[in-house]
Order: sequence, then structure tokens, then C-alpha cells
Amino acid sequence: MHSLAAQQSALLQTLFAKPGTLQTENTIHFIANKAINTPSRGINKAKNRGLQVYQANAEVLALRSLQASYPVVNQLIGDDAFALLAHDLWHHSPPTRGDVAQWGGGLAALISRIPQLADEAYLPDVAHIEWALHQAATATDAAADLTSLALLTQHDPGGVTLQLAPGSTVLHSAYPAASVVMAHLYASPTFDEVGLKLRAQTPESALVWRQGLRPMVAACPQADALFVHSLLQGGSLIAALEAATADTDVPDSAFDFNVWLPQAAHNGLLLGARLL
Amino acid sequence: MMPTHSRSPPAMLGNIGIGWRHPHYQALLERKPVLDFLEVHSENFFGAGGAALAVLREGRAHYPISLHGVGLALGSAVGLDEWHLDQLARLVADIAPVRVSDHACFARGTIQQASQSTSVHGSDLLPIPFNQESLNVMAANVQRVQDRLKRPIAVENLSAYLTFAGSDMPEPDFLNQLAQRTGCQLLVDVNNIYVNALNDALNDPMNRLTRQPLQQCTAWLDAIDPAHVAEIHLAGHIDCGDIVIDDHGSRIKPPVWTLYEHATRCFGAVPTLIEWDTDIPALDVLLEEAAQARQICMSNVQQDTLCTA
Repeated sequence: MHSLAAQQSALLQTLFAKPGTLQTENTIHFIANKAINTPSRGINKAKNRGLQVYQANAEVLALRSLQASYPVVNQLIGDDAFALLAHDLWHHSPPTRGDVAQWGGGLAALISRIPQLADEAYLPDVAHIEWALHQAATATDAAADLTSLALLTQHDPGGVTLQLAPGSTVLHSAYPAASVVMAHLYASPTFDEVGLKLRAQTPESALVWRQGLRPMVAACPQADALFVHSLLQGGSLIAALEAATADTDVPDSAFDFNVWLPQAAHNGLLLGARLL
Repeated sequence: MMPTHSRSPPAMLGNIGIGWRHPHYQALLERKPVLDFLEVHSENFFGAGGAALAVLREGRAHYPISLHGVGLALGSAVGLDEWHLDQLARLVADIAPVRVSDHACFARGTIQQASQSTSVHGSDLLPIPFNQESLNVMAANVQRVQDRLKRPIAVENLSAYLTFAGSDMPEPDFLNQLAQRTGCQLLVDVNNIYVNALNDALNDPMNRLTRQPLQQCTAWLDAIDPAHVAEIHLAGHIDCGDIVIDDHGSRIKPPVWTLYEHATRCFGAVPTLIEWDTDIPALDVLLEEAAQARQICMSNVQQDTLCTA
């Protein structure tokens, strides 16, 4: 007699085993011989058919879930290659949660390990940006209170910080990964413009945030990214300003808070200010 | 504050709902058809915020919501996932659903990967054996969910494509005992019963009992204690020749309607859901199925036995 836990582990082991390393025989041992009048060859055939249903369902679910999270990576490498990625990720990094939307964060790491994709070195960063967008979509809601910006004129900037939109994050890439994503999602910049940036291997910072309920991405100057990153770390306004202007090696370090603030309020990145 | 229902259409007899899926989010909110409840998959709204949750809250303002889970994995011997329970509790507090349900299945467990033990979730409704050990696991997990949510949940029977060795009690007995021990309710999926019966017949064609799927199903329904039944599910299935799959991707088949008639005679006019999850058609198709369910329900149940959501 086998314990329930052993039975369940055996079935899961088989469902997540990569084809060619199937442990089906072990699992079949746990499955009932219901068809007592069926020849044994027929019994195993029925058991295998049952396993196939669950395995096929997993393949479909993995692909559909990953397509929802990574539409740009899918377009970049095509449906066949993307299906192989989904298959590999499912078997290498199985879901751990009962909400399959939580699964798939390991795609960038998987892409970076695949030699056939090594020439598309920007792909892992595109995947990182798409995962950030996916997470921003369900981040905790927050309402803007722009009247609170009056705190900026009433208090020392060392005692004030800025509140940013749900899902806000910045990512830096050695490639124009943000432009690649924007070209696919917004048709701006154009693919020709992105091609030029890719050939020039232009590094970019990506800013991800939620504009109301809509996840957004934009390429931004590195100084802006350093400023936002400092705020996201909980830093004061003065600390964020220092972070944005401290690195004199940054070519676009001319951060202008008076330019940034109205733009950030307009595009929904900036929700307000609060005292530390 | 609890949302109020501003459903304008007149109340109708019966208690019929449809699965509310993404392709119909906007159409349903615009048309607000006469329905007694909407069912959604709980996990699709586990995010702390965002557009999906905003849409669900809008739907909640017009219809009662039945939260149907696919990921609690109540039959898992390793127990429940605290994270999942936290998300569900938050959603239940937010939406105040008319019912909360999940399945009599397992999905959580451990596997060996690169010589290490890894916890995984199978992301499917995997079958459990019907025996005392499995019942003990299910009962403990169901009780834990109910204690956390401070309300009973409903547990649904599966369509299963495998049967574990060691099952030694009929599925209806298992479910009745689960309900008696935990106070949970039962969600009877009529299509699942029929799919299982068809597959039994395919796997064991010489067996006199499995050669009569409809009779097998009516006996199954007769064996369920009506006092525990909180909801009925109806859906389509696909016959692949060597196996029948509960794909929720087509209209409800005539034999399943026949079984639904029997179910309404057994259980009364319990809330009934039209499920459609793959190849989702126009909203009107679901509403036609809902209208047929309502007609059957009304013709089989005395008006004074009708229940409300």
C-alpha cells in the first residue's frame, strides 16, 4: 500500500518530466486497473492516454500563460520557438503557485542560457521588461493626490519623498530593450529607428509604471532612472536628486527636476508627495 | 461597505448564472442580461489591484458573484499553500461572493529535480483516490479554508482521466462524508459525471454497468445527499474517440441536459452555472444555454421550492 503523498508525488513527477525521461511506469503502478476485462496491453494504453490528457493540458496552459505575459518576446522569436521556450520553462521551473499567472518570471534567465538565442543578446532584457509590465498590471491600486505636492514648498527636501504609481520600477539594459518593447506595443519608435539603435548597441534605461489601470513602459535617460530608483528605495527627495546627478560618467546626467515633475504628473508616474 | 445590486431586469424563476470570462467583460456590463449570478475563477483576480479586479468590482455592483477556484488543491497530501489562502481570503473580503467553491482534486506536491526536492503545483485538477486517507486529507484542508474564510465552501466533483489505485469507496459516499464531517457544501458538475461514465465505458466495454452511462450517472446523482448541494455546473465536452474530455468548449450535450433534469428533481432548483472556458462563443450563445437551463429548472421544480442566490 502506497501513501497518498507518494501517489501524488509520482503523478506530479511524471507530468513535469521532460519527454524522453518519462517516469510513466512508476506512475502507472499507482493507477488502478479498473478495466478488469481489458487485456493488460489495453490497460496500459488507457492509462497512458489519461496521462497524455494531463500532459497536453499542461503544454497548452504553459504556452497560453507565457504568451499573455510575454507578447513581445513571442513576436520576436516566432510561435514555434516560443512554444519550445514555454515547454522548457514548464519542465525546468514548474509552477509553485495555484495561480498560473505567477509562473513565468524565469523566462529571461532561461533565454540567456540558450545558445541558439545568444545572437539576440537583448532578448533577456526584453523579457525582464515584459515581466515588470505583467507584475505592474496587478499591483496595489493607489490614487493620485497632486495637492500633496505643496509639501515640496513647505518642507526641507530631506524630509519629503515622492509617491510613484503602482508597479513602478526601472531596469537598465546594455541594449535598447525598452525601445524594442515600445516599438511592438505602441509602434513608436519605428522598427527602423530601433534597428539603428540595435546596430549601435545603444544602452537604455526602461521605466515601467501603471498609468491608471494601464501598464506602461518608456525609455528614459539614465539620470531619470537613478532618480526614480532612489525614490523607490524609500529615499528622500534630496537623496534622489543627489543620486540622479552624482555620477558624472553618466552621459545624460543633466537631470532637471523642474522638467521631470510636470511630465511625471502628466503621465501618471507621480501620484503625490509625503513626509518621511 | 457591501455592494448593492442594481440589477434592473425583473426577477425570474430559477437561479441561473454563467461563467464570466474576459471576452465578455465589456459586453455583459453593457447589456446587463437577466442572470441570477456570475461565476468567475478566483485566481484570475488574485492581484492586489489593477484592471481585472476593477472589472470584477463593477460586475459585483450588478450581480451576485460566485467565486470558483481552480488552484486550492484541496486534496493535496502536503497541505494548502498559505499564499493562496491569503489571496482568496482577501478576494472574498473584497467581493463578498454569494458562494466560494473549488474542486475535490490535488495539485500540490514535491518532485525530485537535479537531486533536490522541489515543491510544485500541477496547475490542473488532478484526481484523488476515494478512500479514508484521502478523505482525511480533504477534510482537514477544507476545514482549514472554512476556518480562514469563516464561511462554508462548496467542493466540486471532477472529470478524471486516471483513477488512483486504492480507491475503495464510491465517489458520492466520499463527497457525502466530506460534507458531513466539515459542513462544506457540494457543487455537482453534471457534465463531469457523464464524462467519467463515458470514459468508464471506453475503458471497460465488457462491463455491463459501464455500458449504460446515463443509468450510471443517475445512480451517482441519487446517491448524493440533496441537503449538501449548493450549485450545479453544466458544460460541453468533446469525444476524441478513444477518450472523452471535459473541455468546456461547446454546447451542453443532450444527455447532460437529460441528467440535469434528473438533478433538478433530486436537488431542487439549486443555483446552476453554464460554464464555457475554451473557444468562447458570443455572449448570446451562453445566454441561450442559460435560458434552456432555466426552462428545465422551472418545469421540474415546484415554484415554492425555488431558492434564491
